[in-house]
Amino acid sequence: MLWHRRLGLSTFVVLIFLAISGFALNHSPGLKLNQINLSSNWLLSWYGFEVPVAEGFQVDGKWFYQDGNKALLVDGQNAAPCTAPLIAVAQTTDGVFALCANGLNLLTRDGQLVEQFGAIDGLPANTQAVTVLDNRIYLTIDSTAIDSTIIDAVIMEFNAHTLELKEADMAPQALKDIQQVAVPLPEPLQKKLKEQSAGPSISLETLILDLHSGRFFGQFGVLFIDLIGLLVCILSITGLIAWMKRR
Amino acid sequence: MLKELYRAALVTAAAACFAITSLASFSVSAKGVYQSGADFFAEVFAQQQAESKILWLTPEIRTQAAAIVGHPVRGLRIRYHQSDKKTAWILEEIGKEMPITIGVVVEEDVIQLVKILAYRESRGGEVRYPAYTAQYKGAALQEDYQLNRNIDGITGATLSMWAVNKVAALALYYHAVVNQSSATHQP
Repeated sequence: MLWHRRLGLSTFVVLIFLAISGFALNHSPGLKLNQINLSSNWLLSWYGFEVPVAEGFQVDGKWFYQDGNKALLVDGQNAAPCTAPLIAVAQTTDGVFALCANGLNLLTRDGQLVEQFGAIDGLPANTQAVTVLDNRIYLTIDSTAIDSTIIDAVIMEFNAHTLELKEADMAPQALKDIQQVAVPLPEPLQKKLKEQSAGPSISLETLILDLHSGRFFGQFGVLFIDLIGLLVCILSITGLIAWMKRR
Repeated sequence: MLKELYRAALVTAAAACFAITSLASFSVSAKGVYQSGADFFAEVFAQQQAESKILWLTPEIRTQAAAIVGHPVRGLRIRYHQSDKKTAWILEEIGKEMPITIGVVVEEDVIQLVKILAYRESRGGEVRYPAYTAQYKGAALQEDYQLNRNIDGITGATLSMWAVNKVAALALYYHAVVNQSSATHQP
């Protein structure tokens, strides 16, 4: 009787939690728990998801960034199809050039798409950067794919009107020094992006299941719940014994 | 000795399975770039002198083009090649999720050739077979900016087919715009 009391008092909080979470899981389809998605940063990092900080390029006062799906956004507006990553952005007096994995987007200074220049149009594979120097556009191509003996990159000058490329006598280092690097987006844009895009998330059902099983707290959590299970068995047995004794 | 043989047999069997499945998956996948733009234009205008030109998408053209493909049209300009009354276009349209790059040749307001230049989905690539694209030869645009003929579909490639249909109609429209001829034929 004494042990029954001790076990009961020490486990009742956990038992009530297990009962409630168990009930919820039993009715998960009805409660649509797997459709409720949680994506707070601490929860995602607890589960080991890396939430990358959204990065972009600020050009001419506008932010150019990839939306995590298939588009290039300019200050939140869908400007062009863009397969991640957005590699580089550069501008001339005539326009802005955004290099994505699927090709080079030619845009107006307002961020409107003029046309795309992709592999099928002649954009070389392994184009690593687009840089502007003296209002001329240069593409940096990783030449190791072309000829493995050349370790330096190939620079080509790009004509945005004729879409012609010609080799430029330019040292790759000269361009590297002026290349823009992606920087974290300002908070408001990050927030907007998060709201719009479907980033990683954990369903409420998964969370409850992991709490119920103890897995949420790792191996020790699981052992703890195992222990509670064992204590429940002992609780039942001591309760039975106490009842038999009273009879 | 037996153990060695057994192990060797197991490894050989595994290697064979791997080889077979990788070959099989290669032949099933339709993804690929089949021809570059430059090669397409060179092939189409092999015997002729063709000029590379630009069509600027004015609001009117953009509106009509959007009506043809059923969604807003991107970009401010389209490049094409022309020789006399023959134009060649390279246009992109999304099949299911990925864009399909399609080359279309139009002459005298009638399609001469449709060719799939790049296909990026894992299914539906049957549209690239000449037996399919040959159906477009001779097609023209109706009053309602639809093609004036029914194109026989391919099971499992419906979305890709719709994309090719849209691009064919769009190319006919653009051809009419640049040649300023009547955009439509009587069906």
